[in-house]
Amino acid sequence: MTTPATHTTPISGEAGPVESPRPLELSDLSVMIGGQGGDGTLTVSDLLGRYFRKCGLYVYTSRNVLSRIRGGHADASVRASRDPISAVKPQVDVLVAFDNEAIEMGRVELASHGFILYDSTGFHTDLPNSVGFPFATLVGGPLGQPIFKNTAAYGALSVLLGFDPAKTRGVIEDRFKRRGGEALEKNLKALEIGRKAALESPGVANRYAVLEGDAHDLVLTSGNQAVALGFVVGGGRFFAGYPITPATEVMEYLQRYLPPLGGVVRQAEDELAAVNMIIGAAYSGARVMTSTSGPGLSLMTEGIGQAGTAEIPIVVADCQRVGPSTGQPTRHEQSDLSHLANLGHGEYPRFVIAPGTPEDCFSMTVDALNLAEKWRVPVILLLDQALCQNTTTAARFDLTGVQVQRASRLRPEEVSAMTEYKAYRFTDDGISPYAPPGTPGVWAEITGNEHDEWGHVSVNMANRVRMMKKRMEKMVRALPDLPPARLFGDPSARVGLIGYGSTSGPIRETQTILAARGLPTRYFQARTLYPVPVAELDAFLKGVDVAYVVEHNYTGQFARLVREHLPWHHEKLRSILKYDGASFRTPQIIAEIKEAA
Amino acid sequence: MVQSAKPVPPIWCPGCGDFGLLASVKRAAADLKIPPHDLVLVGGIGCSGSIHNFLEINGIHALHGRLLAQAVGVKLANPHLTVVAAGGDGDGYAIGMGHFMHAFKKNASILYIVMNNETYGLTKGQPSPTSQIGFEGNIEQPFDAVLSALSIPAPNFIARTFSGDPKTMTAVLEEAIRFNHEHRGFAFVEDLSPCVTYNDTYKLWREKVLDLSKLPGYDPTNRQAMFKLYLETVEQGKIPIGVMHRPKEVQPAGLEAKLLGDAVGPARADIDIAANLPAYEKLLASVA
Repeated sequence: MTTPATHTTPISGEAGPVESPRPLELSDLSVMIGGQGGDGTLTVSDLLGRYFRKCGLYVYTSRNVLSRIRGGHADASVRASRDPISAVKPQVDVLVAFDNEAIEMGRVELASHGFILYDSTGFHTDLPNSVGFPFATLVGGPLGQPIFKNTAAYGALSVLLGFDPAKTRGVIEDRFKRRGGEALEKNLKALEIGRKAALESPGVANRYAVLEGDAHDLVLTSGNQAVALGFVVGGGRFFAGYPITPATEVMEYLQRYLPPLGGVVRQAEDELAAVNMIIGAAYSGARVMTSTSGPGLSLMTEGIGQAGTAEIPIVVADCQRVGPSTGQPTRHEQSDLSHLANLGHGEYPRFVIAPGTPEDCFSMTVDALNLAEKWRVPVILLLDQALCQNTTTAARFDLTGVQVQRASRLRPEEVSAMTEYKAYRFTDDGISPYAPPGTPGVWAEITGNEHDEWGHVSVNMANRVRMMKKRMEKMVRALPDLPPARLFGDPSARVGLIGYGSTSGPIRETQTILAARGLPTRYFQARTLYPVPVAELDAFLKGVDVAYVVEHNYTGQFARLVREHLPWHHEKLRSILKYDGASFRTPQIIAEIKEAA
Repeated sequence: MVQSAKPVPPIWCPGCGDFGLLASVKRAAADLKIPPHDLVLVGGIGCSGSIHNFLEINGIHALHGRLLAQAVGVKLANPHLTVVAAGGDGDGYAIGMGHFMHAFKKNASILYIVMNNETYGLTKGQPSPTSQIGFEGNIEQPFDAVLSALSIPAPNFIARTFSGDPKTMTAVLEEAIRFNHEHRGFAFVEDLSPCVTYNDTYKLWREKVLDLSKLPGYDPTNRQAMFKLYLETVEQGKIPIGVMHRPKEVQPAGLEAKLLGDAVGPARADIDIAANLPAYEKLLASVA
């Protein structure tokens, strides 16, 4: 047994001295796991998440990885709490490090009572409150491969955090049983190697205790998974996409979910093909979607414009990342909104809706499909990297409230009762009922050229004006159908917060902290971003003295949109911005509000 | 009888090669007794791509270069439809080149007709990917789509026709659509269709076209033999026409058949919640 490199000094807080340690009980714990890409940090994160779920805790995981398969610094964080959480904890309680770089990067966020558990195979540190075990060496001998070091680290961590041994083992069984036999057996051995090392090292076992929670009937999921599930139950049956971080998982989930239901998922040759394939499939009458991120969205823009003017219902999920160009593919930003509000050349209607949680992602993907088909417009489901890829505890998905509305779709018996079928018929509500190809007895012309009611290309000026109005007025007529904002906090507070997407998480946690400190706030979680929900925003802004628009970009894109559409509230609006690639932490939001107060 | 969109008069110049193709498409559809509501024509951008306006069928006007991607989407969503994509050489071999090559690989059962006139007619005569060296200052090597198509080892139907020979063209189109109907895969027909205004090649092509089926050794099921015959013909200064490839095996190898089997396809699937309840509940319960 290699002697562990241990350097401990008494930890602060409620814990006792090292010699007779009482566990530090944590009701809100954050563990960061860092190393090189390929070290298996995401696996440790996944195992911890599973363990905490077995304990009935709320869980939030995030990742910080580079756009490469192996190598380069990568870290993942797992937060577990007895109370609902929806953001990264600003401080790290325990840091698991596979190299010195992970320590250097992680200790910046380490709490004063924090502890470092590291793999001492290649290096050593004299930092206080740290313990190192040569995990790679320890597993390398008996298991033949050092790659099991991550499971060994999980084992040591389980001892440090006072995990229940049976549950700890159960997590490994759950995770590796599908891969079966040797993978499971070796990981179980690695777990025991890690546990043994930690148990034999004085002062490591039970330094912390994780309190159990009662949040059992929840699932641990991501926005991307929730979007895929929402697409299926919303009747989506055709998906085409092109691999792009952080949107790819939507396609990967659907490759599993859709074929058994008679649906089709295609990986296209590029984003141009992806958007045009869904346009073709929507024209045929299928409910369709693609998912992409900034660079792909740029390529799809021409197609989305065609869908807008040819009135073809498509849904595009935009998983925002740092842009422009290749930007930072794996990092978080909310900087596509200005582009989406003005998407493409020419003018056409489009709805941009933004879920804030996995529950929203599920229900609003259904909304997106219904809205697209009813109004015959492209709908953009605006997501962001943190929402897409971070996992969080969410209510179990069920079909309550899920409806498949095919408002503009003509059934064959309705068609046969008509005297004429015009795909672009002028109607009172601007919606032209549609009969897809294959409907007996009728056919139509569908085109992105300006057209008359029959779909014939037209340069008639009166027709052009009428068709423009027919299409553009959808953005007014549809307002009552679009997802309403959600309001949180004290309805009489004079300080307002405005945001959308995953930013809702840190904003709501900020509200809780500020309320405890005597500063009530109210939060407007926008779920429809375009057309700008002027009436909703006006009612909200009337009630506050100041409103902070919290968003991840340099120019304050949402704030600018609000100013443009509600210029009379100009004076009240402030921006809290972050564009460094990571999601908001509560201290920044609190500091900027306090600074202004 | 419900009144649907009526065809409008073609925008083409008198004598345009595309008229020959239009006549052949009408004849083939009539011969094969395809009802107009089951026939979809996906048009590209350019003179040729407007063909869907001149027929009593379903038409969708795709973005420039994207007609194949849209046609594949149409077909996979409803495999029951007969899907014809039609456009020009600029649309297919320049801006749409990526989708063109992938269409052979995908092998969805759609018919793609390229009306090749070796120029951009609608924008008034610029050189296209198939223009000969010297045409309007062109110094780039002309692209041979049929030869490229032969290079992809997929079970596609590949042919070239000439608008000056409508009888052969109709026969080829009928075979191509039958090939699609049997879900055997992608059918590509390049039609030599002269632009009488900007590149009138009728006389030249009439002299140069050579129907390979009349040559000894012609066997469109043998890719190697066809390559040889094709290249020899080109080296003699001739333009090969006729069926260039037809897979030996008669089986539903089309993408839609592989993906969907006998399923009705995404467009006609019952998406009512009640109809899918057990499957949905099982799926949602699988999230832990």
